[in-house]
Amino acid sequence: MIRRYMLVTALVMATAGAAGAADKKVVRLWQTETEPQTLAILNQTAAAYEKTHPDVSIKVEGLAWGDLERKLTAALAAGAPPDAAHGQPITCVSFAAKGLLRPVDDLADSIPRNDLVEAFRNLCRWDGKTYGVGHSPASSVFVYRKDLLAKKGLKVPRTWDDLVQVADALREVKDGQVVRYGLTMTGQPLFINIGVGELLKTNGGRLFDAEGRPTLTEKPVIELLDFYKKLNRVLPPGWTGHAYLDTFANLANGKAAMLYQAYGRGVGYIEKYAPKEIADPEHFAVADKVIGPSGKTPAAQLDCEPWMVFKDAKGANEAVDFLKFFFKDENYIPYLHSVPIHLLSIKKSTSRSPKYADNAMIGKWRSWIDMQEKYFRNDWIKPVLVTDWDDMKKPYLLEVMGSGILVDMVLDSVKGMPSAEAAAKAQKRVEELLASAGHLKK
Amino acid sequence: MLWILPALVLIGSLILYPVGYAIWLSFLDKHSFFPAERWVGLGNYLKIAWDVEFWDSLWKSVVYAAATTGLQLVLGVAAALVLHATFRGRTVIRALVLFPYMIPTIVAVIVWRWLLNETYGVVDHLLLRVGLVREPIVWLGVDHMMTSLIAVSVWQFTPFVIVSVLARLQTIPLELYEAARVDGAAPWARFRHITLPQLRAVLFIVVLLRSIWMFTKFDTVWLWGEGAGAGREIRTLPIYAYMRTFTYYQAGFGAALAVIMFLLLMAATLVYFRLYWREEEAVA
Repeated sequence: MIRRYMLVTALVMATAGAAGAADKKVVRLWQTETEPQTLAILNQTAAAYEKTHPDVSIKVEGLAWGDLERKLTAALAAGAPPDAAHGQPITCVSFAAKGLLRPVDDLADSIPRNDLVEAFRNLCRWDGKTYGVGHSPASSVFVYRKDLLAKKGLKVPRTWDDLVQVADALREVKDGQVVRYGLTMTGQPLFINIGVGELLKTNGGRLFDAEGRPTLTEKPVIELLDFYKKLNRVLPPGWTGHAYLDTFANLANGKAAMLYQAYGRGVGYIEKYAPKEIADPEHFAVADKVIGPSGKTPAAQLDCEPWMVFKDAKGANEAVDFLKFFFKDENYIPYLHSVPIHLLSIKKSTSRSPKYADNAMIGKWRSWIDMQEKYFRNDWIKPVLVTDWDDMKKPYLLEVMGSGILVDMVLDSVKGMPSAEAAAKAQKRVEELLASAGHLKK
Repeated sequence: MLWILPALVLIGSLILYPVGYAIWLSFLDKHSFFPAERWVGLGNYLKIAWDVEFWDSLWKSVVYAAATTGLQLVLGVAAALVLHATFRGRTVIRALVLFPYMIPTIVAVIVWRWLLNETYGVVDHLLLRVGLVREPIVWLGVDHMMTSLIAVSVWQFTPFVIVSVLARLQTIPLELYEAARVDGAAPWARFRHITLPQLRAVLFIVVLLRSIWMFTKFDTVWLWGEGAGAGREIRTLPIYAYMRTFTYYQAGFGAALAVIMFLLLMAATLVYFRLYWREEEAVA
């Protein structure tokens, strides 16, 4: 009798619990910060929000950066996107142009808008409305082993040719085998896309003209492909198969002396994997990105995914409300401190806050942050595949990136195809892609 | 009639509808996640005919399917013959042989990518140590991406052949071998004139299934090439169809590629059946 009573009670409680959970509006957020400590902070923020909003359940999911666009588009194709998500700025513009997003001017105004760093205030605008607010800006950086360059009496490279020469000089061979490469770079498609845009900017080039026609046969692109051929000779032979994190590992464990496409989060790997006595900015220093033969200024890639909110999402308004909560300093600063040299503040007031500055890692690796802020100030930083801010008005950059045409162009060239031929082949493919989507007249 | 209705509904909803929808989609110019669509008739197929990437991916699919199926067959039959013999520890070895087929693809791929990494992988380290190579082989680079994929796929799927062949070997009457021995047949002659003919039916099914599965293999190929620019060296037809659908957002074009893949497999299967039947008739 007692057992039956207990069973009935348990069933009633379980049913009541399930009903309670079903009443809650579930808000799903996809974001690209997958490091455990960042996810923990985001979950803490979600729990704090839920305390004051008992009718809402915030589910934060971490997605690998390189997978984001594919997963978002697959989810959209299946008709089941999240309520809000990170995206590349070009993804945000592409989605906004397709009418998939809810404007987030209310979110920008709540921060408030004039507190956002000027360079990133208009990261994702379409038809006069804001469709994305960046969670945190960061710049790609060039990292080199200061001690190794000094030991060989080498100067920090300034130009593309310098980079190849220094990389060659830094290579170390022992017993007929290479024990250290001069330079490491990732062959991950997303990063080759990033590299093409970034290097082209340093070479004074562009990917599209004012009419939106691809310009891959122009001189700066041909020079870029010639440069990739030279890089291929000094990079580890398997670089086209190396993932983003492999290159950090190569740098941290001494298998490479320079990393062209590094980011602030690399500091975490250096602190963890490099010998303790050299895990500091005196050994792992940052320098300006190298300049191409036709370029004048350095350039870097902006890593700043805007938060996008999907128009038809059931929890769109709740997602915006949660994001307003997320950007409050008491939640935002712990988030930034979870990867302190990579997650920089998009709010000017937070950057000036003593509470934000009170962090041992920020104190130690200040030179890395200064380098990134220098790029912000000089407008030397643009989103992936954007060589000019006007490119952000082109709603098809996402398709160009996803097609892998630029990656194929680089690999064709690296495999020995003449640069002009590789460029012409890619030009034709991009033209066909844009024409088939109605973005370009044949 | 009523009792076969559930089966018909299942077949209709799980096979005929998706295939029919894919065929319908292949005649449309349709964005992957927008409802708007435009009838283009055979337009997608005409584009495919002139698409260099399509021919390249078709060739890669054929190379991958033929190499992996052939190697699985040779190694699978050889291993099954060894495992059919009586020796100590046979049961344990038979269980271990199944291991690669049982582990999830993602685990197999991660482990092999790690083993074959030219910077810190065990395989290159051993090859260098033994002196078989003077420089590490870049298994995951542009030059060896397909070779390493084939090797890993063969490792992963050969157990299927072993199990299928081993099951058949155990049912071959021993009297046939005894009679052959009495007649003085050598081991090779016994294999050629008894074992192989007895395995014909199972090998027919194994070749058919494995070649279809390898031609349409997506997960292993995708995961092997994912995260690497060199992944384009293994851009087989299923990968290309996926890319057209989900990274170019051309659902109609992607569907047309899938339909072509389906038709190619149908044609190959029909030819294969025809050849088999012709040979069966000749034997009879």
